[in-house]
Amino acid sequence: MANKTVQLEIKRQATPDAPAVWEKFDLEWRPGMNVTSALMEIAANPVTADGHSTTPVTYDSNCLEEICGSCAMRINGKARMACSALVENIEQPIRIEPLSKFPLVRDLQVDRSVLFENLKAVKAWVPIDGTYDLGAGPRLFPQDQEVNYPLSNCISCTCCMEVCPQFNEETGFVGAATIAQVRLFNNHPTGKVLKEERLRALAGDGGVQECGYAQNCVEVCPKQLPLTNAISDVSREVLLQKAKDFLRG
Amino acid sequence: MATAQNPSTPTMRPGVQPLRAGQGTTFLWRKLHSLLGIVPIGAFLLEHLLSNFEALKGPAAYGAQVKFLNSLPLVRVLEWVFIFLPILYHGLYGVYIWLRGKSNIVYYPWAGNWMYTAQRYTGLIAILYIGQHVLRQRFMGISLPENPGAAFAKVQHELANPWMLAVYIIAMIAICWHFAYGIWLFAAKWGITPGTTARKRFGYICAAFGLALAIMGLASIWAFVGPTYRNAPDIAPLSYLAAPVHAGSHTV
Amino acid sequence: MASPRIIVVGGGLAGLAAVIKIAEAGGSVDLFSIVPVKRSHSVCAQGGINAAKDLKGEGDSTDKHFDDTIYGGDFLANQTPVKAMCEAAPGIIDLLDRMGVPFNRTPEGLLDFRRFGGTLYQRTAFAGATTGQQLLYALDEQVRRHEAEGKVKKYEGWEFLSAVLDSKGVARGITALDLRTMELRSFPADAIILATGGIGAIFGKSTNSVVCTGSAQSAIFQQGAWYANGEFIQVHPTAIPGEDKLRLMSESARGEGGRVWVPRKPGDSRPAKQIPEAERFYFLEEWYPKYGNLVPRDIATRAIHRVVYQEGLGIDGQPMVYLDLTHIDRATLDRKLGGILEIYEKFVGVDPHVEPMKIFPGMHYTMGGIWVDFNQMTNIPGIFAAGECEYQYHGANRLGANSLVSCIFGGFHAGPNALNYAKNLPAPEGDGGHAAELARQAEINTRLIKNEGGENPFKLWRELGQIMTEHVTVIRFNKGLQKADEKIVSLIERYKRINLSDKSQWANTSFAFARQLKNMLEISRVVTLGALQRDESRGAHYKPDFPDRNDEKFLKTTKASYSGDVVGPRFEFEEVDTQYIKPRPRRYDVAK
Repeated sequence: MANKTVQLEIKRQATPDAPAVWEKFDLEWRPGMNVTSALMEIAANPVTADGHSTTPVTYDSNCLEEICGSCAMRINGKARMACSALVENIEQPIRIEPLSKFPLVRDLQVDRSVLFENLKAVKAWVPIDGTYDLGAGPRLFPQDQEVNYPLSNCISCTCCMEVCPQFNEETGFVGAATIAQVRLFNNHPTGKVLKEERLRALAGDGGVQECGYAQNCVEVCPKQLPLTNAISDVSREVLLQKAKDFLRG
Repeated sequence: MATAQNPSTPTMRPGVQPLRAGQGTTFLWRKLHSLLGIVPIGAFLLEHLLSNFEALKGPAAYGAQVKFLNSLPLVRVLEWVFIFLPILYHGLYGVYIWLRGKSNIVYYPWAGNWMYTAQRYTGLIAILYIGQHVLRQRFMGISLPENPGAAFAKVQHELANPWMLAVYIIAMIAICWHFAYGIWLFAAKWGITPGTTARKRFGYICAAFGLALAIMGLASIWAFVGPTYRNAPDIAPLSYLAAPVHAGSHTV
Repeated sequence: MASPRIIVVGGGLAGLAAVIKIAEAGGSVDLFSIVPVKRSHSVCAQGGINAAKDLKGEGDSTDKHFDDTIYGGDFLANQTPVKAMCEAAPGIIDLLDRMGVPFNRTPEGLLDFRRFGGTLYQRTAFAGATTGQQLLYALDEQVRRHEAEGKVKKYEGWEFLSAVLDSKGVARGITALDLRTMELRSFPADAIILATGGIGAIFGKSTNSVVCTGSAQSAIFQQGAWYANGEFIQVHPTAIPGEDKLRLMSESARGEGGRVWVPRKPGDSRPAKQIPEAERFYFLEEWYPKYGNLVPRDIATRAIHRVVYQEGLGIDGQPMVYLDLTHIDRATLDRKLGGILEIYEKFVGVDPHVEPMKIFPGMHYTMGGIWVDFNQMTNIPGIFAAGECEYQYHGANRLGANSLVSCIFGGFHAGPNALNYAKNLPAPEGDGGHAAELARQAEINTRLIKNEGGENPFKLWRELGQIMTEHVTVIRFNKGLQKADEKIVSLIERYKRINLSDKSQWANTSFAFARQLKNMLEISRVVTLGALQRDESRGAHYKPDFPDRNDEKFLKTTKASYSGDVVGPRFEFEEVDTQYIKPRPRRYDVAK
């Protein structure tokens, strides 16, 4: 890239009640620079492009290699992970905003705990008897591992929820990430034991039926989870489960 | 930093609430909405378009088709239970679904997202169109169940108005789109096409099917406005050829 | 007394392992973590987890795992706990498998294993190249289950500040800071387990996550806990240099056949693919014919340093060497290494299936840590430690894929031990020291927020990282170490003049960072001065002026304690438990 500076515009909000303001920053460009390193640079020198001193930007980040799921934010309008957003591949000025569907904490930091609550609601775990020595686990063929592993790669970044037109306060939609985890645990030889409970849970308000199949989730997912496949599979199973429950009375 | 909480602690908005596991009834209503779109509404649409196609054979054949449909047993009950009420529910619940979704194609201009949005607009066009269509063709003007021979002319008069013609053409395309993509959505969301490849292939099938329906529909419209049957008689004598047998019930 | 209350600080593998054991035994746990536990640094572990299950018919055994670990750690680790860990490892793998970790499989449906550094056996179970992520998720799911059953209460977004000690010096709880509301609170507990990971942040850029500051370890060190073997820092041979961090390129890349090389001709400017085989210098394979590319990390790192800095053979004269996977077919690479190759492609923009990766060593792991006894308890009664934050399992150098097993083993050990300890704990006198500790912390906070001066904490941190990386990583000279310590002392002085540009009381990240920074500075001195004391070369600690291992003087655990004085920590040495394997010379050019 030819120009030596990087222009950023960051949406700042000191508290959830405070008004939002946009601040501009000009940073010196360095090779390999990503959005998180730009935010670190601002922390070391919190001065806006017009020379006003400001505060370091509050944002979530941890691993910086797109595996912890912390640094999801909207960059030029689109939800993505800030660590893998290489500055040289993004149109400038780079406009950075917090995710819009989650309660704002401050600046680029939002509260995404709803996902973890949803995982609780669908019992996204294998209910083992205990951690004492019970010998080897169930046999699993490579083909099954290759189905489960991609689903197990979900980093809980919530990008799929942010971009989903159906994920909002009116629908209370659970979102693709949780549905994919239901698919994962229902496919595990031991996890299966809770299959019916999970499927019934997903028929509740905000469940799988709220999906509008816009398929944004699968487009945006930084880990390429087969989210739409999971939704289709789980939808069918939820339906069959409800039909069975109805017929059994 | 005091030992106590900051007195002016800001309040965060509650945000999207967690899944109400197993609670509530939206699953039932939403699935009903989805199912009704295929049967009976979709099935009826198919029948209607096939019946319309009779118009290409002229006013007499068209009138005969109308007469045949109106001769089905319990036709008025069928009409309400399998057509009016399902469409009303599908339409109103569809609007409710639309209002609860937040389209975002500005930031995410992806194919699936366009289709999602298009499904909502075509649905809206369909409801508005069907409302006026049923009102004007079924409940206003000459009563077709009693005068099936008047069917062709009644439609022809309607389409003589170029604005109305435009409405019919737009609605025909919108409804065929809505139905074809609706079938695709139904298959995807009920897990009939669970894989990416299956959905892609079925997408081609639905697209071809929708296109065929739209062409058929537009051809039928042409029968009314084209030169062949210009100035059809107000009450056409009905030809008593054996009418084709189709499932479902019908009123024009 | 009601059921004991245990606080676990840190929600990585070790912390979660401890939580599960305590919840299962009927204790109630408060789990504190800076980040939601599912985002802990354990997710970054890539290659796998070691256990001698011998499913490849090679005659592997837990004894051999034990020997490899001790030998790889250059005999510095106490042998009793390491032996116990190696013996427990196969059971741990089985348990993880039962929890649903999607380990790679053989066609018969059994666990697949691959080879890792420092061993000749295929002993490493793996889930693609994101094993740490998969393990962490499995434990996270179990903890979520206990949480749903009301046995665990999570405090995510809270940062540990200090232990609360009673008049007898016994731990009675902790103080912590809510990183959102900035509320300071103390929490009572009968026992505390620290599982707060590594200290990578003191080196500025490392393969560690942002939260790996060592702040918690340093805080209890300053409250009287011993810190052991601080000078042993692992620099991973293969990392991707980056602006904000060094991204790990797993040892599994070499485990699956990856080869490290440089052009034989200095400054050879041809693209890698055009350099013929004969003109490539596979220096690890030539120098270490028996282990080849899978020598332990300290050896590989020093070899890369040598080839780049002494022989001037870095690619294009830059400090970089090739890690080449292009001879392996795409399907195998994707199945076994997909995750890490994706990282390289995303962050470098080059496809490693097609072009060799360019890598260089980067600070990776903290072998040293809080001193603990064989029950995982520190010298402060009631404070336990597990995982990377303690010192026990890896000696002078950690073998690849041993960290995950040590975290889980340590956590599984610490949990029940803490519970037993807590059951026999007499009630505290008075308030157990809570009011006093809370007041001390409140005062630190007030001083920091009101401080007037010209120093920016993020800039001080960068300076710290630079000096630490320059003098306290791969090659160490006493002069450099002294220089580094002087610099740290001056940074501690400058720290007193920190001025926070953000003085707000809501999600104030610079405030939290400034508090961590103080602790980073203190622990940096432990690392630097520990290295200065140890005039020998052992494992990851290498001094060209003292190139040999000196068992007579230094087959000892370094124990640092806080003096509160500008001269720095006090050091003493402790005998190493070598009752099972007699120390012998460590070399990897021949089979041991």
